[in-house]
Amino acid sequence: MALIELQDVSKLYGFGDATTLALDEVDLTITKGEFVAVMGPSGSGKSTLMNLIGLLDRPSHGDYRLDNKAVARLKTDQAAKIRRDTIGFILQSFNFLPRLTVLENVALPLAYKGVSLSRRTKLASQMLERVGVQNREYFFPSQLSGGQAQCAAIARALVNNPKIIIADEPTGNLDSSGSRLVMELLSDIHKLGNTVLFVTHNPELTRFATRVVYMHDGTIIHDEQTALGQVAPKARKVLYTIPATSEEDDLEGVSVMMKAFPHKEAPPPKRKKATDKSTRRKKRSVSRRKKAS
Amino acid sequence: MPHAHLRAGWDSVRGAKIRSFWTMLGIIIGVASVITVVGIGEGIKQEIGGQIHHLGQNLITVRPAQLLNGNSAGSNSPDLIPGFSISTPLGIKDINAISHTNGVTASAPLTIVGGAVRGDHGMYRNGFVVGTTSDLPGLLNQSLQYGSFFSSDSYDMNVAVLGQNASNALFNEDVPLGRSFTFHGQQFVVEGIFNQFTTTPLSQQANFNNAIFIPNQVAESLSKNTAPTYEMLARPAAHEKASAVIARLKTALDQVHGGQSGLSVQSGNQDLTASDQILELLTRLIAGVAAISLLVGGIGIMNVMLVSVTERMHEIGIRKAIGATNRQIMSQFIIESGILSLIGGVLGILLAFFADFMLRTFSSLHPAISWQVVVLASAVSLLIGILFGTVPAIKAAYKDPIEALRSE
Ligand SMILES: Nc1ncnc2c1ncn2[C@@H]1O[C@H](COP(=O)(O)OP(=O)(O)O)[C@@H](O)[C@H]1O
Ligand SMILES: [Mg+2]
Repeated sequence: MALIELQDVSKLYGFGDATTLALDEVDLTITKGEFVAVMGPSGSGKSTLMNLIGLLDRPSHGDYRLDNKAVARLKTDQAAKIRRDTIGFILQSFNFLPRLTVLENVALPLAYKGVSLSRRTKLASQMLERVGVQNREYFFPSQLSGGQAQCAAIARALVNNPKIIIADEPTGNLDSSGSRLVMELLSDIHKLGNTVLFVTHNPELTRFATRVVYMHDGTIIHDEQTALGQVAPKARKVLYTIPATSEEDDLEGVSVMMKAFPHKEAPPPKRKKATDKSTRRKKRSVSRRKKAS
Repeated sequence: MPHAHLRAGWDSVRGAKIRSFWTMLGIIIGVASVITVVGIGEGIKQEIGGQIHHLGQNLITVRPAQLLNGNSAGSNSPDLIPGFSISTPLGIKDINAISHTNGVTASAPLTIVGGAVRGDHGMYRNGFVVGTTSDLPGLLNQSLQYGSFFSSDSYDMNVAVLGQNASNALFNEDVPLGRSFTFHGQQFVVEGIFNQFTTTPLSQQANFNNAIFIPNQVAESLSKNTAPTYEMLARPAAHEKASAVIARLKTALDQVHGGQSGLSVQSGNQDLTASDQILELLTRLIAGVAAISLLVGGIGIMNVMLVSVTERMHEIGIRKAIGATNRQIMSQFIIESGILSLIGGVLGILLAFFADFMLRTFSSLHPAISWQVVVLASAVSLLIGILFGTVPAIKAAYKDPIEALRSE
């Protein structure tokens, strides 16, 4: 049964000469229980797609049915409530309110739902135990390692018992062991029947997914089912060309991957240093400006 | 649900103590200064006597319409009380008309008799002698410390009741009951001594603690009917309406004078004397200053909250991503500024109590901080926080979640 149904969905940013077409008539249907990896170069519209699916944003054109309900034109507060009850968000980093403890952060979605303090503390605590960071409940987010922080973010995403988990580059700032930890956790959640969507630049991580969606320039250029535990066939080509060990290599790998699709022109390989988040951010805004001009 | 916002608001306050302090500073200073100045004004008011409360609303006063404060050049009667003169005092006919008017249960004239009073220490210069009747203490709600007020039976006897200052000035004893003093060559026996007067029924300048009270009839005969009656006090019967009695009194007095009596008949002490007017003005001035300083405090809160909203964009983004509605974000920020402002108000109140203590110890002022002012100040500061927190809260609530998440 289709849980997420996007039909001819487009998203435009800005107006006039500065208009960017972030998504270009995207059709995508995701059924309950799928574990979808979204890959593609920077600026290809992956985050925009995740934000639309997660009801953080509205499509400029097209239809979106979530759980058989038309949600493309919802009022912001209605969208917020559906988001609260059916979607769990995991961001690349800075997931938390720095002045609240980890436990309070994890319990926050329940507070917006109106759950009593004692109950939400209990539920949040259980969830932290499930992701393996129960001994860090009273730490502040800044005192967690990257892997622990992402596990806690998963706990917060799960605390409302949502139907869909959306993770935009959840391993983007993690080392390989942190990535493994996070992916195995998402895998467990998927095995319990949840629908999980995640964005990644690392072809290796497609082995956790049941389906891989490749994006380029705001469109889906390839969509394939994969067997659990195996790197997706298209992604494997990339993997064999350049072994992915660092984020920079990941980016490069994606560029090489794009070359693997003869029907689309691949973007020039990106050679800039992208070792930390700030340069990443800069790079993204540079590419945005390029598009705009 | 609200306690979740309360919690969120409180967490932010707790987390940013220094900034919170600066936010509150305007409110702290505003509330403290307003309470202190109001307290000082209230203290002064209490010291010079709250005559309006004590005289009561169902006391009727009859006095010449042109009763003047300050020296009037055209006055033909002597200035028996400094700064207080009168053109046309009440006559004996007026006094009788008033006491016999239907619905008047008690009445007393206030007649001033000139002349020297001689006691243990010789001449008593600071006081004045008032001719009146036995109803006076009841009309003024004034109790006696020692002895009793002369009864209506003693209307033609040389008896006297003293104000406290007069008693101290005339005699060596603390309780000079039965002692006598000389006035117009006659001996007067002291029958009673008043408690401290908190009211000044005649004028601010006439301190009744300095006065000597004798029967009106005696006063008139001593002065050969020249002593002026400045005022007549009357109380309407319990079942009568003051306004009805006032109307009847006016007609009766007009009849006495064959037309316009030139007397004013009022309930309570409606006409404020000069110092009351100054206090009134002062109170309004304080209210103005209060409004301005609280406005400044409110704008301060708004500014800091706007900065805070900008700084906490990422937080707003996270809250929205996990399902906070615009309304929930808005409540959070409004409650936050409300809490900040209320804490500022409470600190301001504490500061005001400290200032009050300092003024009492190191100056002659006796500020009076009433609980009403404290409650009002708290309520107003909470209200200001909510009011001036609204604009920043709306700014936070309608922020696009993705844009908010993007910002650091
Ligand atoms: N708020 C925005 N304003 C203008 N352009 C935007 C905005 N958000 C995204 N874009 C543009 O939309 C395109 C897709 O962005 P995004 O979905 O973030 O890509 P990805 O996540 O795949 O890197 C990019 O060209 C980007 O510059
Ligand atoms: Mg992205």
